[in-house]
Formats: sequence, C-alpha cells, structure tokens
Amino acid sequence: MAKTFKLEIITPEKVVYSDSVQSISADGTEGSFGVLADHAPLITELKTSILTVNDANNKTIRLALDRGFLEVMANNVVVLSDACVTEGDVNVEKVSAEKDAAEKTLSSGGSAEEKEKAQAILTRANTWLKLANK
Amino acid sequence: MLSTREIKQRIRSITSIKQITRAMEMVAASRLKKVESRVLASRTYTEKMHSVLSHLVSSLESTHPWFAEKDQAIPVIKVVLITADKGLCGAYNNNIIQKVVKFIKEKTGKEIKLTLIGKKGYLYFSKGRYASLIEKYIPESVEKLGYSHVLALADQLIKGYEANEFGELHIFFTKFHTVMQSFPTSMRLLPIEKGTFGSEEKKPGGEYIFEPSPVQIISHLFPKFVETRLYQCVLESLTSEYAARRVAMIAATENAGEMIDELTSSYNKARQAAITKELLEVVSGAEALVR
Repeated sequence: MAKTFKLEIITPEKVVYSDSVQSISADGTEGSFGVLADHAPLITELKTSILTVNDANNKTIRLALDRGFLEVMANNVVVLSDACVTEGDVNVEKVSAEKDAAEKTLSSGGSAEEKEKAQAILTRANTWLKLANK
Repeated sequence: MLSTREIKQRIRSITSIKQITRAMEMVAASRLKKVESRVLASRTYTEKMHSVLSHLVSSLESTHPWFAEKDQAIPVIKVVLITADKGLCGAYNNNIIQKVVKFIKEKTGKEIKLTLIGKKGYLYFSKGRYASLIEKYIPESVEKLGYSHVLALADQLIKGYEANEFGELHIFFTKFHTVMQSFPTSMRLLPIEKGTFGSEEKKPGGEYIFEPSPVQIISHLFPKFVETRLYQCVLESLTSEYAARRVAMIAATENAGEMIDELTSSYNKARQAAITKELLEVVSGAEALVR
C-alpha cells in the first residue's frame, strides 16, 4: 500500500475531514498541483475549486472549497477554507437560488464592491453545482 | 403577619416565576449546547490558522506593516465590545462593561471609539458620560450574527486600520471556559503583537515553498486571521452568555423553590393560628352560655 499522510480540512464552522490519505490534488492560485506523502513543506493559496482526495482505502472523495490555504508540513496537510462541502451535502436548490441572485446583481450593475461580492458568490455556486452534478 | 389569602397569592406568583425561570434555564441550556459545538469547531480553525501563520512569519524576513506600532502617530483606539442583548444572565454584561470602562479611564489622552455589538452595552454607554465615544452600534442581535456579518465588520475595521483611521484595535469579549466559568477578556487585534507568532519553534523539514510569494500569501492570510479571531470572539461571548444565563436561572429557580417553602410554612402557621383563634372563640362563647 502506498504511503499515507494526514489530511485535515477545517472551516470556521467545523472540521470537515480528518483522516489518512494517499494523495490529494488541488487547484492553487498558481495552478493545480498534487500532494503525495513526504512532500516538501509548502504553503499555498487555493482557488474556489474542487479538491480530490484519494484516501487510505484508495477511495476517491471530492470536496468543493470556497478559497483557502493549504499547508504541507512533515506529512501533515492542513486545508483552511471559508466553506467546504462534500459531494452529498450540496443543497442544489439553495445554491441555484444564490447563483441566480448573484447573476442578477452582476447584470443589473451596482458598485464595484457589490459586483466583486456577487462574482465570488457566483464562482462558489458554480463550483458547488459542478460537484453535485458529477 | 400577612393574612392567609395574601400569602396564598404570593405563593402563586412565585410559583409562576419559578416556572418562567425554569423554562428560561432550559432554553439557555439547549442554545448553549448548540453554540458550544460551534465555538469548539471555530477554535480548531483559529488555532490551525495561528500555527500556519507562525510558520509563515518565522520564515519571513521582512516585517509586515501590521506589526508596526503606530499608536504614537495616531492616538485613536478603536474598541469593539461584545455584550448580550438581554439581561437576566447574572454579572455577565456588567463584568465586561466594567472592564471597558476601566480601559477607557486608563487611556486618558487617547481618543476612544466604540463599536458595540449587543444591546446591553449600547444601553449602558448611550446613557452615561461616554455616549460621545460611541461610533457604531450593530443592531443585529448577537445570536443572529453569522460569519458573513462578522466578515463585513472585520472588513470595515481592516480598511479603517489601513487608512490610518485608528492606531490600535482592541476587542472586549467574554472567553468561554466551562459552564460555571468564563472570563471577561480584552485582546489587541491590531497591530498584531510581535510575540503572537514568535514563540513557536521551527519544525524540522526545512524551508517552505511558497506559492505565490510569502508576502502575497500573508497579505491574504492576515485579514483572514483578523476575521476569524473576531468571529471566534463573537462565538465565545455568545456561549458565555448562555452559560451565564443558565447558571443565573438555575439559581433563580432554586431561590424561588426556597421562597415557596418558606411561604408555605408561614401559610400553614397562619392557618393554624386562625383555626386556634376560632376554636378559642367558640369555646369561650360556649362557656359564657353555660354560666
């Protein structure tokens, strides 16, 4: 069996995931990358994206992140994110409603700040839906 | 001595008070349970973020502007105070308010600006001689403050700090320890105290790879850190509030029970006295007839 390392995914609301895994692949702001056991120490920023985890039993788990930071240190990986959902947890109706509202804000115009917020919500909603639909 | 009727009335009213306090205790207990799990989860997050930041700062040579002391240049201190919206929770509100008052008295010569979360703090400060210090009051009830509200507030505070509107940011909240114990606490959020991250030893494993550059990461992580700390403080306070209310209501229920016992015994005494008196009257009346 491949060597494993510890992965923790934490949001302000709860610890979403904490277990030994074989590998993860994530989307950083500088491009996507993968982490295997014995990875060099790394701190990086993550985009709003889907994180794929290969756990100790070689099962693939997919999670959607709303931005975040990832730290690799001595076979401990910590992901800190604003929000994180697993595949089964996406509330499609609610997310679609959020998406519609954000799109409306974007098309109707408003202050730059409002638009920026709406854009962030839209990206998040899209990622959530992508996770749910596959 | 009160008449039996009056005593009965008092017993009745205290019984209903007891029912209310018992209900409030149960409500506080169930809310406490809910919010307690949130505060513990958020603590893990804050701690992890703290450790990530420690690693980051220890590998950084340059110092970030957020570490720089600028209270000399800008003698304005921003104070965020978190209280409850309601009373009936023992000394919870008073303790933290007194701490702020003491702080204000200590910092003579500096301008203090208050941002208030929670109605009780607002009621206290808006009436006293410190009314002019209030800059902002957040009317949403504390329990309804979600992460997004706190985020918006933190955003404003960070922008204000970067625009040199104030030199220091302090937060006053009540740290939750156990149900019986919580501590009114003050913390300086900005500038970040130098010792905050320095103490942690470097872990083995060599230098970090940063993507993007450390400066960029830190400029994103620091605001996040302030946000999460603020959120953590709100949650801690809320938990302490429920705990304090629960304890206060347990005490109130107990006291009501004791009072009912006392009143019942004096009711019985009064009743007995009335019966004895009546008997005496009947007997002495009968005796008078016999003669």
